[in-house]
Amino acid sequence: MTDVGEAADNPAAAQASARQPSPGRAAVAGLRQPIVAILLLIALFTTVSGKPLDGFLMLAVAAMLIVDAARSRRQAAPGGSAASPSAAALATSPATSRQSGRRRLLVRAAWLAAGALYCVVVGSFRRYSWPATASVVTLGCLMIAIAWQGPLARRRPRSGALLRRAWLWAVVLVSGGLLELASLLEQPHLTTDSYAHPTISALTDPVLASFPGRSAILGGWLLAGWYVISR
Amino acid sequence: MSSRDATIIGYLAVLAAGITLQVVSIRRPDRLPSLGRVLAYAMQTRTGRVGVVVAWAWVGLHFFAR
Repeated sequence: MTDVGEAADNPAAAQASARQPSPGRAAVAGLRQPIVAILLLIALFTTVSGKPLDGFLMLAVAAMLIVDAARSRRQAAPGGSAASPSAAALATSPATSRQSGRRRLLVRAAWLAAGALYCVVVGSFRRYSWPATASVVTLGCLMIAIAWQGPLARRRPRSGALLRRAWLWAVVLVSGGLLELASLLEQPHLTTDSYAHPTISALTDPVLASFPGRSAILGGWLLAGWYVISR
Repeated sequence: MSSRDATIIGYLAVLAAGITLQVVSIRRPDRLPSLGRVLAYAMQTRTGRVGVVVAWAWVGLHFFAR
């Protein structure tokens, strides 16, 4: 009622409302995002290769991103209710900048100890067991939730002009992915490893069979996660 | 050379290419962005941020979860 009344009183608002994309169009726009397409492909391949939990999680995140992109698109349309971040919101908190170096060091040491404990405890679990699954899924979901909220630190927007040669990184990543996919398709069955065409997981099986190997790989995974989340 | 050797050499070549790019980007930051800079650019939006973190989570799930 309020919208109709507002539109009647204000022709500009009515025109803006008419320009807003429909929910269907907004959802299609979400589907067109490359990351969503990649997640859907991962969901498909992991489910087909006998890892339905991975597939379900990828599918769930892809669905959430589609909904989020659709909502953002509708809000960004003229007449939408998206609010631009205020200068106050973008400013670094004075309390954060005044944190003492000693306290930061203590916090880092606590995180390091917690990470080491996680590696030892989860590394002691057998691969693909329920305790290992629960530990990895919990941490993965927690990190996704953190990433969903926003970056940990405010950063200056980066210009695309500095990234002219970023395609070289894409070539390396895509080459690795294609090689892994080719090995996967050369297997006698999607769930049976091939000696002649090993996937990366087949090559790492001997390392992951032992407790120290699992703990070391978990340590690398945690460090990579910290590196990613702090970008 | 067996198919297995060729596959492993392929993986090592990809790894070596990644390390080379990172070393070059550190020595010549004006010519090539580092992996960190590319990730930071990709993670400016929520979709990019969540996508990259999901890729990381997937690695852990793939190697440890059932």
